[in-house]
Amino acid sequence: MTTLTTAQSPSLAGLLEAAAAAGLAVSSSAAWPGARDAAEPAPLAGFIDSTFSPLVAEVAGRALMHARREPAPPGPATVSGPVTAIVLVTALGDVTSATRVAAAVDAGARVPPLHFFQSVPNAVAGYLAARWHLTGPVVCVSSTAAGLGVAGLLIEDADADEALVVRIDLAVTDGDRDSAAAILVTGPASRNALESHEPEGRKQ
Amino acid sequence: MTDGRALAPEPPANTARTARRGPGSAVVTGAAVLSAYGRGTDALLAGVLTGRPAFAPVQRFAVEGRRVQFAATMSGSPDLRTEVSRSVREASEDAGLSPAERARTLLFLAIHCDPAMARAPDAARSGLGPGAFAAGVADECGLSGDGVRCYTSACVAASTAAADAAAIIAHGQADRVIVAGGYLVDSDQFALFDAGRVLAADGQVRPFSTGRRGLLLGDGVGAVVIESQQSARARQVPPLARLAGWGRTGDAYHPCQPHPEGVGLARAIVAALQRAGIAADDLGYINAHGSGTGHSDPAEASALRRALGDAVTTVPISSTKSMHGQALEASGVLELIVTLLAARKGMLPVNAGFLGPDESCRLNLVLGEALAATPEFAMSLNAAFGGANTALVIGLP
Repeated sequence: MTTLTTAQSPSLAGLLEAAAAAGLAVSSSAAWPGARDAAEPAPLAGFIDSTFSPLVAEVAGRALMHARREPAPPGPATVSGPVTAIVLVTALGDVTSATRVAAAVDAGARVPPLHFFQSVPNAVAGYLAARWHLTGPVVCVSSTAAGLGVAGLLIEDADADEALVVRIDLAVTDGDRDSAAAILVTGPASRNALESHEPEGRKQ
Repeated sequence: MTDGRALAPEPPANTARTARRGPGSAVVTGAAVLSAYGRGTDALLAGVLTGRPAFAPVQRFAVEGRRVQFAATMSGSPDLRTEVSRSVREASEDAGLSPAERARTLLFLAIHCDPAMARAPDAARSGLGPGAFAAGVADECGLSGDGVRCYTSACVAASTAAADAAAIIAHGQADRVIVAGGYLVDSDQFALFDAGRVLAADGQVRPFSTGRRGLLLGDGVGAVVIESQQSARARQVPPLARLAGWGRTGDAYHPCQPHPEGVGLARAIVAALQRAGIAADDLGYINAHGSGTGHSDPAEASALRRALGDAVTTVPISSTKSMHGQALEASGVLELIVTLLAARKGMLPVNAGFLGPDESCRLNLVLGEALAATPEFAMSLNAAFGGANTALVIGLP
């Protein structure tokens, strides 16, 4: 397991605990904010007004780099390498964007078109998938336990070889700070070696 | 927004990795639904079999100043929490679940969020997330409080939940899961989709058709009871259908555009067929994702050609979004129920709004009027932002 380079956060601690409970091995991890992090993550092109997507991109990128993964090279995509699922865990979603859109609607103001594209957590998951060539399923859930349950199931059934599980919580009250963490998990050898079962077919 | 990555030759989808599954069988034993056609499965089936779309000018909230003013809504302003709980209770009753059996039933719920969250005071927001919403529904409906999950994966949220439910039941990790989803057309999502210029300005959704102008939103709240075949037999409840196969994949292409050649969706279709243990020509009907948008329909048609091979010319296909609209997080359960009802009725709904063929979307569409057919297997497809794709295969008993 890669040594953590950021201080453990409640988000990361929760992910690690849930991974252990699900019997999944953690090959890399990252958390935000770390001791040297600025107040906000670097902006992410194409996403506006909220730290939600930039934070997901930042913390996921750190976990992948710790695992010595490289961004997808320019040019044709390939299907080689491990199949990595993306499981995004968010209890409230992009609450900053949601409140801005609601305020614009209530005021009869124009809603910026880019808010449409970032209106669901899938969007930044799709950014991650394209950026790091993660070709597995994309799933978003609202709890860490569910996220690790989904990750374990996808690995067990060979929908993915590994899963990048990201937890993101934006601050919702004054004094809170945004937090995010990411782990890359694989199934233990015993689970990966599970035999395939007969398909459903026409059995009744 | 990043540009999509360049395309590369993809091996045929049927040479991709082999999907695994547990040994058990998952069956559907109860269903309940609300749509623009009204409450209940009878209203939904009757509505889509008329071939008449449910789109009309929006009355639920102000749409002055929007580019587009149409959606498929039931009358009034129904409350999402009330309607989701109603569907879960009705599906439980349809499946004949006793209070004790409900108390051992898990809930996987697909929603965007509690509709009140965006306008709530800061301090109240943490109690208005989708997880709290799901826990409240489970409590109201007498379901197990343990293992409640909430899926927020946009337009594949409910279909992903159904796939996960079938998968854990096949592994024997649960006996019974209620998969529910809910979306009621609201002012915020309407404004977002209008701003994104994806709504059909002509007030019709025309999947796979020339002259298609985009999607329209629609109400959808539904629930299905998915349980092990062993459990259904022990309860002496005849299944409505088997949830025979499932697949979920990602495109790894773009934040919000599908892969133009549908490579991820093709893999999902193949995985679902593999898990069902059937060939493409065993399918007797496909309820397509069919959003009616410019990019998505050709990508889906390409996926179908890639995954089905020659069978793509013979399997009847329609997108019922052309009638009930796009129900976002609830689409997967709404369309699974449409697929199930149509297959059991032996009448396949039309692909409404069709003006003429588009060479990039050549499929064997059900056109004109509903098609009498008795499929042994049928498939429901969904796709979403993030390049997320799902395929569900049902087998008729």
